[in-house]
Amino acid sequence: MKFKSRFSFSGFLILLILGICLAAPILSPYDPNAIGVADSFSGPTGSHWFGADDLGRDLLSRILYGGRITILIAMSATLIALIIGTLWGLTAGVRRGWVDEFLMRTADATMAIPQILFALVCISAVGASVISLPIVVGILLSPTTARMARSAVVTELSADYVVAAIASGTKRSRLIISEVMPNIAPQLLVQLSINAAAAVMLEATLSFIGLGIQPPNASWGTLMLQGYAKIWNTYWFVFFPAMAVTITILAFNAYGERIRVTMDSRRSSI
Amino acid sequence: MSSLMTSVATVTNVSRTFKGKTGVVHALDNVSFDLKQGHTLALVGESGSGKTTAARVLLGLDTPNSGSIEILGKTLGSLKHEELRLLRREIQVVQQDPFSQLNRRHSVERIISAPLIAFGIGDKESRRGQVIELLKSVGLEKEHLRRRPHELSGGQCQRVAIARALALDPKIVVLDEAVSALDVSVRAQVLNLLRRIQEERGLTYLFITHDLGVAHYMADEIAVMFRGRIVERGNRDDVFNKSRHHYTVGLLSSVPLATPSTSKRSREQVQSLPSPGLDDACLYRTRCSVGLGREDCKTKPLHVTQGSETHSWLCHAPVEHA
Amino acid sequence: MKNALIVNNLTLSVPSSKGRVRVVDDVSFDIPAGTKVGLVGESGSGKSLTAYSLMRLIKDPVRIDKGEIFIGDREILGMSMKEFRHMRGNDISMIYQDPMSALNPIMRIGAQIIESIQLHSDVNHAQARKMAIEHLASVGIPEPDRRIDSYPFEMSGGMLQRVVIAIALSGEPKVLIADEATTALDVTTQDRVLTLIDKLAAERGLSVLLITHDLGVAAQFSDEIMVMYAGKLVERGSVNQIFSNPVHPYTKALLDSRCDYTIDVTKPINSIAGQPPRPDNRPEGCVFSPRCEHVQLQCREGVPPLISVQDRLAACFRADELYQVGMVH
Repeated sequence: MKFKSRFSFSGFLILLILGICLAAPILSPYDPNAIGVADSFSGPTGSHWFGADDLGRDLLSRILYGGRITILIAMSATLIALIIGTLWGLTAGVRRGWVDEFLMRTADATMAIPQILFALVCISAVGASVISLPIVVGILLSPTTARMARSAVVTELSADYVVAAIASGTKRSRLIISEVMPNIAPQLLVQLSINAAAAVMLEATLSFIGLGIQPPNASWGTLMLQGYAKIWNTYWFVFFPAMAVTITILAFNAYGERIRVTMDSRRSSI
Repeated sequence: MSSLMTSVATVTNVSRTFKGKTGVVHALDNVSFDLKQGHTLALVGESGSGKTTAARVLLGLDTPNSGSIEILGKTLGSLKHEELRLLRREIQVVQQDPFSQLNRRHSVERIISAPLIAFGIGDKESRRGQVIELLKSVGLEKEHLRRRPHELSGGQCQRVAIARALALDPKIVVLDEAVSALDVSVRAQVLNLLRRIQEERGLTYLFITHDLGVAHYMADEIAVMFRGRIVERGNRDDVFNKSRHHYTVGLLSSVPLATPSTSKRSREQVQSLPSPGLDDACLYRTRCSVGLGREDCKTKPLHVTQGSETHSWLCHAPVEHA
Repeated sequence: MKNALIVNNLTLSVPSSKGRVRVVDDVSFDIPAGTKVGLVGESGSGKSLTAYSLMRLIKDPVRIDKGEIFIGDREILGMSMKEFRHMRGNDISMIYQDPMSALNPIMRIGAQIIESIQLHSDVNHAQARKMAIEHLASVGIPEPDRRIDSYPFEMSGGMLQRVVIAIALSGEPKVLIADEATTALDVTTQDRVLTLIDKLAAERGLSVLLITHDLGVAAQFSDEIMVMYAGKLVERGSVNQIFSNPVHPYTKALLDSRCDYTIDVTKPINSIAGQPPRPDNRPEGCVFSPRCEHVQLQCREGVPPLISVQDRLAACFRADELYQVGMVH
C-alpha cells in the first residue's frame, strides 16, 4: 500500500492544532478570564462562536488558552516519557542479563498500577502544577516506551549489519548511536505519537476529576469539569472542549498509524 | 601444505558447547585448523556442522569453552577489549545476506567508510578517496556512493560488503556463505572477484560454505565438518577424488550435477536417522552403512588418522581406494 | 500424450514509475501427463510468478493481464474463485521453500494433514486419521503413528517438507508445483526429498513443475527443462538436449557460469557480464541482447519468438546456427 502523496492530513492537523493553540493570544477574540454577565449562558452566536459560560466568559477564547495548557503539558509529558522510556529500554536491551530482567519487571510493575490512583497519590503529595503534571504523566507513559525501545534494540542488535559493524571495529558506544538508533527512530516516532495522544487524554482526565489544572486557569479537562453538570441546557460548555480533546487525540493516533504503515510497507516487498 | 608456509591464524582444540533443550549441544568439538598466508581454507558442512560457530569464534564474536585461538601471534583469550578491537583490523568478515549485512539507513559511502572512521583513519576527504578506490576494486562506480542498500541488487550489495571488508587492508577475510544467497551468474562474478583480489592483495580466506562446488573452486584446503567435528581434511584431490570418510562420500554423491547423462552415482545415500546416537564414539555412525554394524564405531574413541602430509580423517573404517 | 497442464500467452504486470510493466511476458507451455518439468531461471525471471498464477495466488499490485491456463480440460483463469478453490489441492497443488512457515506452528502435524484430507474427501475423523498415518508412511516418515502427534518445531526441515508433500498430495492432484522446495534444505536432505518426489510422481502418474535456480537439481530430477529470463521463456527441451547442447545464448551462458566441482579451477568462471534488466528498463528487441555475445542487428529490432529449432524450442534468431555449432563439439 503506497501513499499517493507525501501530504499527511493527520500531520497537518497536528500542526494546525499546535499552531492555533500557541497563537492563542493573537487569535482569541476575548480575554479568557473576562467576565461579562450580560452574555452569560449564551449559546454559539456571532459574537461568541463557541458560546459563553455562566460567567459570560467567551468559550472560544477559553478553549484556545486551555489548549495551550493542555498541549504544553501533554507535549512535555510526551518528551519526558520518550527520554526516560528510551534510556530505560535501551539500557535493558543492551546490557541484558539481570539488568534487563530488573528493568523490565519494574516496567511491568509500573504498568500494573492504576494510572489515576498513581496520579492521585503523586499529586496529593506535590500538588498540581504545570511542572508536576508533565512529570507524573511522563512517568506513567514511560514503561510502554521502555518495552518498545528494548524490543527494538534487541532485534536490531541481532542483525547482520551490527555483526559487521562490530567486526569493523566500531566501538560499542558508537554502535548504538550511529548504527542502531537510525533504524529504531521510526518506531520511536510512532511511540511518540501514541504517547502524545495518551498524554492529552491523561491530562484531560486528571483535570476533569480535579487533580489537574485548577481554576481560574483552565485546560480542556478543567473546562469539561466546569461544564458537565450543565450539559442538558448548555451543551456547549462541554461539547466544544470535548471535541477539541477528541480531535487532537485522533490526529496523533492517525499520524502514528500512518508512520507505522509506511514503515511496514517499506520493510516488506511485493 | 608444508611448514614452509606461515600460519596467520591457528585454532587449537577448540570446543564450544551450548545448553539445548535435550541436553548439551557440542557446536564445536575439539576442532583445530590453521590458516596459511595467502591460501584459502574451506569449512564445508551442512546445518549443525559447526562451521558458522567456527567462524564466529575466529572473529572473536564468540568465546570457546576450551582451546585457544591465535591470530597473527596474538592469543584471543588473553586480549583486553580494546586490544581485541585493534586486532580486528587484520581480520574481516563478509556474511551471507547481501542486504541485511549493510545498514539500510546508511549510504554506500558511509557503510564502506565505517571501518575507517572506527579507527580514526584519515579525514572526510581522504576517506572518500579511499572509498572510491575500494568501489572500483570491486567493480562498482563512484555513482554508487550515494545509494542505499535497497537501491542495489544482491550482487552489488555483496560487492559493497566486500569493499567494506577490504577497507582496513586486513590479512584475513572470513567469507561466511558469502555467495550462497546470490544467483548463479552473479555468484560466478563474485567468486572471480574474490579470487582476483586475493591474488592482488595476498589475502588469506576462511571460506565457510555448504556448497561443495564452491569449496572445490575456491579452496586450497578443505575441511569437512559434521556435528562439530572435522571428519576429513585435505586438498582438492584428497577430498574429492580420494574421500575416506563415509560422510564425505555421502555428501559428494548427494550433490546433483548439471552435466548431461550423469547417471546418478552409485549412491551412498545418507540415511535419515531415527535418533542421533548421542553417546556413540562416531556421531555419524547411525547414518553410516558401514558404521551401523561396527562395535568400534560405537564405543572406541576416535583419533585423527594422518593419511598423507595433506590428508587426514576421523574414521575407524575409512573408505578404501585402490 | 494428454496434457496435464496447458498455459497460453500468460502475461503478468506490475505498476512502476513508467506505468504497468510486464514481469511475465507472453509465456506459453504445456506439461504432458506424468512428466517432470524443471523451470529454471534467476531472480526476476518470473518463474515463481508463473507458478503462482497456476494456483491463482496472484494479488494486487501484480495482475494477470492476459492468458489461459488449462488444468486437464478446464480453463481456470476464467472460472469463479469458488469453483477454482475446489481444484486447489484436488487437481493442482503447490509446495514452497520454507516448510516451517507452510505449517501452522501451534497445530500438530496430524491435525493439519487430517484437515486437508477432510477438505478433499468425505470421511470421518477416525478414517481421516488412518489415512493420514498412511500418507506419512508413504513420504518416508519413520514411526508415523507416533509422529502424527508431533508439533512442527519438533521435526527437522527435511521431515517437515515431507509432511508438506504429504498434505499437498492428500487430495490426489494431477499436477504438483514445487517452488524452490529444496533450496532451504541441506544437500543430503535435498537428495532424499527430491528422490521422494520422483518416486511419488512415478507411482501416481503425477506431473511435476519443479521450479529451481539450481541447475544440478533441474538436471537430475526433471525430464524436460524450461529456461526463463526477464519474464520470457527462452528455451525448452529435454534434459539431455539442453544440458549437452544449450542453444539459447542465455542458457549456454548460465550453464557455463555454474560452479560445481567438475569445472576447471585454474581459470576464472565464465560469468555473464552485466545484470538482468529491471522490468521497467527492458531493452528493445530481444531481452537478452545487451548481454549476448552473439548479438546482431536483428536482435535489437525484433523480439524473437519461441519456435521449434531442431529438437527443441528456443527464442533466438540465431538458434539454428548456434545449434549446429554446438553439435560439432
